[in-house]
Amino acid sequence: MIPSDHFTRFYNEVFKFLETQGEEALEAYWLAISKNQERHILELIQTRGLDGMYEYWSHIKIEENCDMDIDLDDDRLELRMHLCPSLSKVMDNDAAPMDRYCDHCAGWIGPIMDKTGYHMVYDAIDRQKPQCVMRIFKDKDKARAAETGAELLMGWPGRRAD
Amino acid sequence: MTTSGDGSLRYQEGGNVHLDFHGAINTTIDFIVERFGVAAMDAIFASVGRDVYAGIRRDLLAGDTRQLVAHWRHFFDREGADYDIDIGEDAIVLTVRRCPAWHHVQSLVGRVSPHFCDQTIRTNEAMAEGSPYAVDTEITGPGACRQIIRRRS
Repeated sequence: MIPSDHFTRFYNEVFKFLETQGEEALEAYWLAISKNQERHILELIQTRGLDGMYEYWSHIKIEENCDMDIDLDDDRLELRMHLCPSLSKVMDNDAAPMDRYCDHCAGWIGPIMDKTGYHMVYDAIDRQKPQCVMRIFKDKDKARAAETGAELLMGWPGRRAD
Repeated sequence: MTTSGDGSLRYQEGGNVHLDFHGAINTTIDFIVERFGVAAMDAIFASVGRDVYAGIRRDLLAGDTRQLVAHWRHFFDREGADYDIDIGEDAIVLTVRRCPAWHHVQSLVGRVSPHFCDQTIRTNEAMAEGSPYAVDTEITGPGACRQIIRRRS
């Protein structure tokens, strides 16, 4: 058994292999993970919208030991990750980190937001630092406006970062 | 069997446990095997055993099994496995009667990849490769196995 605590280091090895197979292989994998994650989050979003997302990530914050603030208002959800346990483990690792490890997060969340009609703005800030800010808006124009302030705006399958 | 190091763990996570990651491993195995074949999946597991667990591997190469045994205890305890470890003169045997990873995936998606236990088989092989020990994995039933550390003859 690869312990669940070590999943991210396994994930990192998968990304390194897929990177050698090309961008299409990486994106197809993120979509497979996105599909897998739908069983945990899709119904929450479809039935309760931003409140459902808040519930999902509040659970993740506890189970994955995240140092993260979650802020919800009427038209957007904001996750502010101060210390990401996923990238932290990949950096505290005898195996080399994949340079674009952070890309997977927008890679699986983005397609779910597209599917459910929400608009995500994912600022990874710096791929070498375990921190990021994700905002999810109801309104497309507000999301586009928020993109202008991002330091490292992430894209995902079906949406390129401009 | 004897060990020579202090057996301290390179990775020793605490805090909460997120068992759903086992579901993502199952999805990953299906994805890689379907697109790239079993050999590609085995190579990824081997890189986990060789590179991620380089500390355990280094100890095994030096004739020290203690970190691997401590690794088993720490993570099977954290995930609530039903298991025991018998340290004998000729072998160390980990008997897993209920694997938390396999059973969590079974309850989550109802179908465990036929290659799911390869994560154990191949990482064990890679950790032990070139060392005085073989770490063999025998699947004894659904979500059950025996892992045996033996000195190579």
